[in-house]
Amino acid sequence: MILLSVATVVFSAVILALLGLGDPKRRRAAGLGSGEMTVAKRRLLAGIACLPALLCVALGDAAAFMIWLGGCAVVGWFVALWLGQTGKDVA
Amino acid sequence: MIHLQKDDTKLMVAVHGWSGILLGLLLYAVVITGMVAVFAEEIGIWSAGHVETRSAFARPIDAVVRKLAARTPERYRRDVSLFEIGDHRLGAFFHDHEIAPNGQPVDRGIYYQLHADGSIDKALEGTGQQVFGPRNDDALSSFLVDTHVRLHVPDPWGLLLTGILGLAMLVAAISGVLIHRHLFKDIFTLRRRANPVLVDRDRHSVAGTWSLPFAFLLAFTGSFFSFFSTVGVPVVAMAAFGGDQQALSDAVFGSPGKPDPSIRPIGNLDRIAADAARRTGGAPTFIAIEHYGRADSTITVFNDPPAGDIEPQTLVYRGATGAFDRVKPSIGTVPSAGGTLVAIMAPIHFGNFAGLLSKAIWFGLGFAMCYVTFTGLRLWLARRRGDAGSLAWLERATTVIGLGLPFALAASAAGFLVTMPAGGAVFWTPTVFLIAAAIAIVSGLLARSNATLDHGLRIATGTLLLILPLIRLAMGGPGWGQVITVGQPIIAALDIAMVAGGGWMLWRALGRRLSAAAVAPVLEPAE
Repeated sequence: MILLSVATVVFSAVILALLGLGDPKRRRAAGLGSGEMTVAKRRLLAGIACLPALLCVALGDAAAFMIWLGGCAVVGWFVALWLGQTGKDVA
Repeated sequence: MIHLQKDDTKLMVAVHGWSGILLGLLLYAVVITGMVAVFAEEIGIWSAGHVETRSAFARPIDAVVRKLAARTPERYRRDVSLFEIGDHRLGAFFHDHEIAPNGQPVDRGIYYQLHADGSIDKALEGTGQQVFGPRNDDALSSFLVDTHVRLHVPDPWGLLLTGILGLAMLVAAISGVLIHRHLFKDIFTLRRRANPVLVDRDRHSVAGTWSLPFAFLLAFTGSFFSFFSTVGVPVVAMAAFGGDQQALSDAVFGSPGKPDPSIRPIGNLDRIAADAARRTGGAPTFIAIEHYGRADSTITVFNDPPAGDIEPQTLVYRGATGAFDRVKPSIGTVPSAGGTLVAIMAPIHFGNFAGLLSKAIWFGLGFAMCYVTFTGLRLWLARRRGDAGSLAWLERATTVIGLGLPFALAASAAGFLVTMPAGGAVFWTPTVFLIAAAIAIVSGLLARSNATLDHGLRIATGTLLLILPLIRLAMGGPGWGQVITVGQPIIAALDIAMVAGGGWMLWRALGRRLSAAAVAPVLEPAE
């Protein structure tokens, strides 16, 4: 159960990091040029990031689902903080 | 997203801001102590140097309970509660029920605190409220939990206050969703060198958006616990049981059966504990015996959720034979959606359903919510900085509470570690907290600027966190070699966490100042 929980959070964390790196508004605000993701690509990645939730539901593992949900919230925030350190801000 | 009319948006902004500014500082106190209290059990082990790893219910308890029953007056032998205290030792409360003059049901009896070998350490007689309280070895964790649950305000007012704060958090979360038009578009946007209002706004909204689902969950479950005994039970008892709260408790939570007062010895408790552990995958956390020594006796065994589940398991055994009877829903006698919802309230609120992993994530969520509350207060103040100087006191108060509270909590831990070996921790833990809080308040009054106050409190808290493990070891706490040998690595892990947390705070406070000084232009005499 612990292994499944950790694996689901790590999987979604990688996708969240990709989403953050290509986030258009963040890139514009940080003065970073190219590399913005298209809406379709972002939606696809957001959907993929949610796949572990479906796995937890399919397995009936409520604990793993809650850990995934909470883990994504914490990791997503940390990714935003981490990416907030990069670039040159444009007010 | 939800698009409101301009006037409605203005109204929501006002609701969001004022609900935060009126109750935000108290809410922050509840949230930060809740964040730390996620690890209350581990902090108890770390601070008191507990090295026993086996549950009291994984060791023989049957003979001990029979001996205690034999020496307990018959009037207190109606029901028995068995639970763990301190270093996995057994606590036993033999009691009967009575109605207090204010109409509230109370338990009165004898509370035995036992040594590891089953001998009696203490026997306290009185009502539950009189005999249960912090002990010398759990004074720190009790202090943290009591601050979170009721802010040390007497019942029922403390619970009502924290319940209202939970509702305020719900209001802030809902109004926050309504006023933020680009909730998901801004989810990664943190401008650091924009004007202060934008910087604070980004920090507040990004942390708030990521933690939003849990702001709802934790605020709702927290309010549920606060209002359950103070409002819910009295109201339902009044509506359906003629005001008899004991009858409500028996009907909703009890194990109804045909009364049979004939004398029958109790079944073997060791076999029951072992059977419960086999069925649920872990040792029981609490055992309640109703009608001890009677033919109609029932034994209810409470357990943590099994692997992969978040609903704790409650098993009922026949008291006279010790035979397994049934799995008990948390409400009523048959499974129901309401019963399941009530059962998962505690695991969702405490995050204790999957050991350290779920607790670590809940700690992170608590940290995010502290950050949201604190940056929200600062944002409200930053937006009004140019309006009038009269809000300077509120800015100071926000810093005193926002950074003074962690400082006072760290100081209370130091106070506990120093005074626990001599047996004075119950008095000194809250006393040192108050002294440290007074120092923070006086510093707030005397500091030259808010920035100086902010800086000083960060350094003080970081330094305290850094030296807490040293104080623990200096006062005779177990060393890393010992705790790893006995299988209690959480003590070493918390030492590392304290040093890392303290080091991070000092690096943030001092490192930035040093690097700023290094790049700052210095005027030479010739210039």
